[in-house]
Amino acid sequence: MAEASEILQGTLDMLVLRTLALAPMHGLGVSDRIRQITRGVFVVKPGSLFPALYRLEQNGWIQGHWGESENNRKAKYYTLTPSGRAQLSKEKRKWNKAFSAVNRLLEAES
Amino acid sequence: MFWFRKSRARRQEIEAELEACRNLLADRFIEQGVPPGEARRRASAEYSGRLAAQMSEPSSGTSVESCLQDLRYAWRTLRKSPGFTFIAILTLALGIGVNTAIFSVVYAVLLRPLPYSHPEQLVLIWTKYQKLTIPRGPASGPLLREIQQRCRLFQDVAAIWTGNGTFTGDDNPEQVKTAFVTPNFPAVLGLKPALGRVFLPKEESLGGRPVILLSHGLWQRHFGGDPRMIGRGVTFLDESSTVVGVLPSDFQLYFSTDSNVGQVGAMTPFPYDIYRSPVTLYFLRVVARLKPGVTVQQAQADLDRVAAQVRASYNEFGAENLNFQVVSLQADATREVRSALIALFAGAGFVLLICCLNVANLLLVRSSGRRKEIAVRAALGASGGRIVRQLFVEGLVLCVIAGLAGVGLGWAGLRALLAIRPDYLSRISGVGLNWPVLAFVAAIAFASALLFGLAPSIESAKTNLTMALRDGGRTTRTSASRGIRAFSIVGEIALGFVLVIGAGLLIRTNNKIQSVDPGFEAQRLLTFELDLSSYNRTQRIQFVNEWESKLRSLPGVESAGAVTHLPLDDYPNWYGPYRGEGMTENQAAGMLADERASTPGYLRAMGTKLLAGRFFDDQDRVDGRQVVIVDDWLAAVTWPGQSAIGKKIEAEHFTPRGIVPVWAEVVGVVEHVRNHSLSKKLRPQIYIPYTQTTRDHLSFAVRTRLDPLSLADTIRRALHERNRNLALAKVRTMANYVEHAAAPVRFTAVLAGIFASLALLLAAVGIYGVISYSVSRRMHEMGVRMALGATSADVLRLVMKEGLALTGGGVFLGVIGALAVSRALQSLLYGISAVDLVSYSVAIPVIALAALLGCWRPAQRAASANPVDALRS
Repeated sequence: MAEASEILQGTLDMLVLRTLALAPMHGLGVSDRIRQITRGVFVVKPGSLFPALYRLEQNGWIQGHWGESENNRKAKYYTLTPSGRAQLSKEKRKWNKAFSAVNRLLEAES
Repeated sequence: MFWFRKSRARRQEIEAELEACRNLLADRFIEQGVPPGEARRRASAEYSGRLAAQMSEPSSGTSVESCLQDLRYAWRTLRKSPGFTFIAILTLALGIGVNTAIFSVVYAVLLRPLPYSHPEQLVLIWTKYQKLTIPRGPASGPLLREIQQRCRLFQDVAAIWTGNGTFTGDDNPEQVKTAFVTPNFPAVLGLKPALGRVFLPKEESLGGRPVILLSHGLWQRHFGGDPRMIGRGVTFLDESSTVVGVLPSDFQLYFSTDSNVGQVGAMTPFPYDIYRSPVTLYFLRVVARLKPGVTVQQAQADLDRVAAQVRASYNEFGAENLNFQVVSLQADATREVRSALIALFAGAGFVLLICCLNVANLLLVRSSGRRKEIAVRAALGASGGRIVRQLFVEGLVLCVIAGLAGVGLGWAGLRALLAIRPDYLSRISGVGLNWPVLAFVAAIAFASALLFGLAPSIESAKTNLTMALRDGGRTTRTSASRGIRAFSIVGEIALGFVLVIGAGLLIRTNNKIQSVDPGFEAQRLLTFELDLSSYNRTQRIQFVNEWESKLRSLPGVESAGAVTHLPLDDYPNWYGPYRGEGMTENQAAGMLADERASTPGYLRAMGTKLLAGRFFDDQDRVDGRQVVIVDDWLAAVTWPGQSAIGKKIEAEHFTPRGIVPVWAEVVGVVEHVRNHSLSKKLRPQIYIPYTQTTRDHLSFAVRTRLDPLSLADTIRRALHERNRNLALAKVRTMANYVEHAAAPVRFTAVLAGIFASLALLLAAVGIYGVISYSVSRRMHEMGVRMALGATSADVLRLVMKEGLALTGGGVFLGVIGALAVSRALQSLLYGISAVDLVSYSVAIPVIALAALLGCWRPAQRAASANPVDALRS
């Protein structure tokens, strides 16, 4: 929480969905990928990630199944469902809108 | 169980997943060259077991946490605007306080079970005499026996009649209201005596030594609370009797007023065999206890069967077409007060609604100012539901504080109500802040929070994020918020109008009742009661004659007289069938009149007007011509268009031969006297000379030149000189009787008046708030208008128009509401129609004035604004 930015509440779900849109992956893979893509700006800790995964699965946006990892370990892999894909584009639109609004606000007040 | 298994499976799944990730991470550390032991330790640190536990908690701890967060946040926001918070809490506390006080009364009087064992099993059995047209009549002794023997659904059936009894034998005789009961009466109610025992099953005071139960108050007052009284002999009703027990200190008899039972000082079994009394001497109030599980309807069906049998076996009851009516004791005891209390309760509810609308308005105004804050929170990812919840939590915090303050206010209000309570609300004296009342307060506080917490939520749900942020909080009003605001003001005015009309009707009723001519002059009239059962008939007549002259000779006395039943007193009424000369039996069917025996001086002392003929005089003797005086009502219905004087009338007299019908000649006609209530004329009246029908109790009326009560001691001394065993009882002024009779209506009117004033005040404050908010939003527009040449008057008119349009809408709805409500109030009104023009023509300008006052200041502020400042703002 100290060095890397904590992900803004409400955006984590979107980031997870976005990551899983690339390929099915397990929990550790998701957090690795987020760190990679955001060049280390956002670090998702297990304490946030797993509740998020669980929540998304409950909503039917992703689906988990057990599989074998590259080095023959058992792991739970998550796949994006069609409704998850729809949700992702919805969140994207929402984010863009809010993002531009906040931007304008910050510019207006400075 | 199912949930448990499911949650265990879930936990196992989560643990397996975390375990897998832990292994993956450890592998990666090993690849990077970390020693295996260290790698596993570091991986475990990342994926602690606590995480699994946290996640598998159902509806995880996070929601509790976020609620706490909401609470803390709400508290901070409220503290940031103390003015708003104070006004909102004050308004709500008023509404909640009013409701707490009224609900306490409603609970104490209507809802709280009677303090008897299993009160739900207790019923009253009224006898319906259809030919006599008496729907709720008492039973006779033989009738009681029939009910006791033929009914199968009662555990036991008892009866009560109240009269007077005097404790004598010491220097301080005391007359008390006495309950004469069947010996099983205390057991049927399930009374547990404070001391001693109740009566034994067969303990009729026949032959043996009479037994008495003392009320707790009498025991304390007359016998010094001496526990050795149990088993001791006292002289009561001129017989030496044994005190067997003391009734509990909270003991009261809960009967409707029209049963004339009232509160008693002593209880004793009937001193005569009631089952041998005449078949048609109706005086017993019958109480029964249902067998467990039996309903009132089943008991009614059983009694219908019994009534048919009784009609078949007694000619008298067959001819009377007699029937029974079973009612729950509690419902019957409260039937006369229920409608007034429910009306007041509804009024209090209206006040609370107005308070909620006002606070909703305040919150709306504030939430408009907080748009930017809310928009930022939404942008940062707070869901709509979360924001609504936040607003709701703020409302809830307000309501909890207001609820606490409201309980305090309600408590104070209840104390005030106790001070002005009429007799029928005696049960509220025992009521405190109890669980049902507190639960009710909690419920209305929560409901209020829902109600006004919702309004700003609706608005913020419609908030357009981008627009809100762009405007930076200086937004124009959305149509949603304007709609809600207008709605709440119109609603407030409409509710306020209904309350003002309701209060107007009740206050007018009160005034009408205060100015009723009861048929006597209540001022400077002292009354008291004597029980003369220790004298025989001749002695009684002689005593009354001498005592009346003695009274007249006392200094300060103008006139004096005596009657068996004072108006507005609760001594069991004496009334019966009568038949006028020239009436056929059929015409006389159902003709009932109140009967009173009076001395020659009585009607004159009371100030009852003589309309024709003469008052009684000393020539109306025992052995003289049988004469009566009737009231104008009886004269008019019996001999319409003719003079009643000289006509004969047949009615029941108490003669040495018993209670028998006697023909007597009408010698006078007097105005009707309101014997039972100020607002109702119940039955016409017949007066019989005391010499010709003597009864053992007599009430004296003494017209004085001074303060009536100042004569009480003189009279008590004079009585003591004459007979040391007579007690001066019920020393009261006639004005006091009238006051008590008027008290229920005054109580209702005072409360309704308070509610209406509160409603007016709140509506004025509400409209002030809304208009001044709207003015402050439109200052810029006003500036433009004035810069373009609008005058102050134009602006003033513009603002006032907005206020008046809202007021007009409110009054319009209010009139519709008031017309609907006044129909429900009908039974509480007297002397005016429910569509009382006076009330309406006062209420409309009053409401309009309150609204105008509310608009005036903001309108003026708008009009007096400097256009330059207004444009700059």
